Amino acid sequence: MDTKDILAVIEKFNQTALAEFKYREGSVEFHLKRHADVVYALAPTAAPVAAAPAPGAAPAAAPAATAVPTGETINSPIVGTIYRTPAPDAPPFVEEGKMVKKGDTLCIIEAMKVMNELVAEFDCEILRVLVDNQHFVEYGTPLFEVRRK
Amino acid sequence: MIRSLLIANRGEIAVRIIRACKELGIRTIAVYSEADRKALHVKMADQAICIGPPPSKDSYLNISNIVSAALNSRADAIHPGVGFLSEKAEFARKVQEAGLIWIGPDPDAIDMLGDKIRSKENATKYGVPCTPGIEGAITNIDETVAKVKKMGLPVIIKASAGGGGKGMRIVRKIEELSDNIKIAANEAEKSFGDGTVFIEKYLENAAHVELQMMGDKHGNVIYLGERDCSVQKNHQKLVEEAPSPLVTPEIRKKMGEDAVRLFKGIGYSGAGTIEFLFKDGHYYFMEVNSRIQVEHPVTEMITGVDLIKEMIRVANGDPLSVKQEDVRIDSYAMEIRINATAPGTVTEYLAPSGFKVRVDSFLYTGYTVPPTYDSMVAKVIIGAPTRAEGINKMLAVLDEFHLEGVPINLELQKKIINTQIFRKGGFGTQVLDSIMKEIG
Repeated sequence: MDTKDILAVIEKFNQTALAEFKYREGSVEFHLKRHADVVYALAPTAAPVAAAPAPGAAPAAAPAATAVPTGETINSPIVGTIYRTPAPDAPPFVEEGKMVKKGDTLCIIEAMKVMNELVAEFDCEILRVLVDNQHFVEYGTPLFEVRRK
Repeated sequence: MIRSLLIANRGEIAVRIIRACKELGIRTIAVYSEADRKALHVKMADQAICIGPPPSKDSYLNISNIVSAALNSRADAIHPGVGFLSEKAEFARKVQEAGLIWIGPDPDAIDMLGDKIRSKENATKYGVPCTPGIEGAITNIDETVAKVKKMGLPVIIKASAGGGGKGMRIVRKIEELSDNIKIAANEAEKSFGDGTVFIEKYLENAAHVELQMMGDKHGNVIYLGERDCSVQKNHQKLVEEAPSPLVTPEIRKKMGEDAVRLFKGIGYSGAGTIEFLFKDGHYYFMEVNSRIQVEHPVTEMITGVDLIKEMIRVANGDPLSVKQEDVRIDSYAMEIRINATAPGTVTEYLAPSGFKVRVDSFLYTGYTVPPTYDSMVAKVIIGAPTRAEGINKMLAVLDEFHLEGVPINLELQKKIINTQIFRKGGFGTQVLDSIMKEIG
C-alpha cells in the first residue's frame, strides 16, 4: 500500500458515516478516527466544519460556527426558559450593541426550577438578540449573534 | 387526563408510541439529539424539541433537558420507551415531582426490581420459584466457597445492579470460584457503581421464557402469555416467539398466577415483564423488567391487545380494558430483529406487508442511520395459526424485506429460523452455537 492508496482510503472514509476505521496488512497499520464533534456534521444541512473546536470547548460556543450563516452565534447549552433580566423589573444583562467580556453573564436559562447563568466564553460585541424574554429554548437554539473582539 | 405526551426516546419505539397517541387523540412531543434531526419520530410528532448533542448521556439520558422540554411544551405525561431512562427511578421521580404523569410503574417499584437481590427476595416472598442459590449478597468469600461446595457446581455469579451480562461469571471449577467473585464484583463496581454480587446455581442451556404482565392503579394485574427469547447472541435477543414450544397451558397458568401474585404484592401498575429460566418443565425467576419491551409486538399479535395504548390508559388512572379470561393464547407469533451491521444511508427501502405482517421501523429512503445508537433498525412480526406455518410465513415475508445502503443481518436471520434445530423448537439459550454449526 502506498501513500496514494492511503489517501484514497481516507477520502472514502470521509464519504461514509463510519466513526472509526482500523486497517492492518503486514507491516502497514493505520487508524482513522472521526473527531467526536464532527460525526453529526455529516448531515447534509450542516456546513463543513473547517476547524473542529478543541475537545472540552464550551458547548455553548462549539456548534455556533455552523448554526447561523449570517454570523457567529451563542447558542443555548440546555433546554429551558430564557430570562434576559436578573429580576422582573431589572434591566437586561445585555443589549444589542453592547460589548461583553469573557465571563460576563448574558442571560439566565431556567430548567427544572434551577437558574443557570449563561456566561460569555470570549470577549465580543452583541450584534443581535435572537430570542424574546421568557421564551422557551431548545438545546442549540441561537440566542445572540455576536462579533468576536 | 393525558392530552399531550412527550416521548423520551428515539427510533422505532418512539414511532410506535407516537402512533398509539395519534389513535388516542393525544398530541405528541418528540425529543431528539443533533444526530437525529431527520429521524422519523421527529417528522411524525406534532412538535419536536432538540435536547442535546449526539452522545446519549448529553441528550436521551439528560433528565433535566427532557423534563424542561416536557414542561415547556405543556406535555401532560412522559413515556420513556425502552432502554435509555426507562428503568431509572430517579427519572420517574423527577417527572412526577414536575407534576407530570409518568407512564410506568411507581419509582419505588422500579428501584426494588432493579436490585436483583431484593427482587429475588420479593419473588420468594410471594411464592415465585427462584433458581436455587446462596441467599443474599456475598460478604465472606471463604464461607461462600464452602456453601458452593455443598450446593454443587456449576454456579453463576451475578451483579445485583446488573444487566447485559456485565458482572456475570459462570464457574465450573471450585478453585476458580474466589477469583471469579473478585472479578465479577470489580466489573459490577465499574459498570454500575455497585460491586454487590450473589451466587445462583447455573442451569445449563435453560430456555429464556418471559411473561408479559400488565397492571392498573386499581389493584388489577393480568398476564398476557409468554414469549420465548432463547435465540440470543451475547445476551442480545435475535428471535422472539409466542407461545413458547416448551410451555403447556397448565404451566402457563401456574406461571401466570405466580407472577400475578408478585405483581399485586408489590403494587405494580403499567406494563412489565417477568423473565424466567425454563428447564425440564420447571421455571425459575430471573428478573422483572419494569417497562415495555422491544418484543412486545409478539404478544400484541397473539392477544390482540395494544400494550402501548393500555400503558397510557392505565397511567391515566383507567382500569385495565382487558380481563384475564379475555386473554386467549390460540395462535402463533414471531418477531425477527433486523440489525444494521454498519451505519449508512438508505438508498432504497421497501418493507414487507400482508395479512398479519407488521414492520416496526424508522427507516425511509434517504435516511442516514447514525453510528451513535442501537443497531436495531427494524422489527418484523408475523402472526400465524401454528408455529410451522409461522416459520414458513416469516421466511416468505423476509424475502420481501428490501433495503439498500445499510448492511443488515437479514440473511443470517433467515438461515437461523430455517434450521432443523429452530424448526424443531424447545431449545435453550445456547442454541445459537448449534444453529451456527448446522448453518456451517
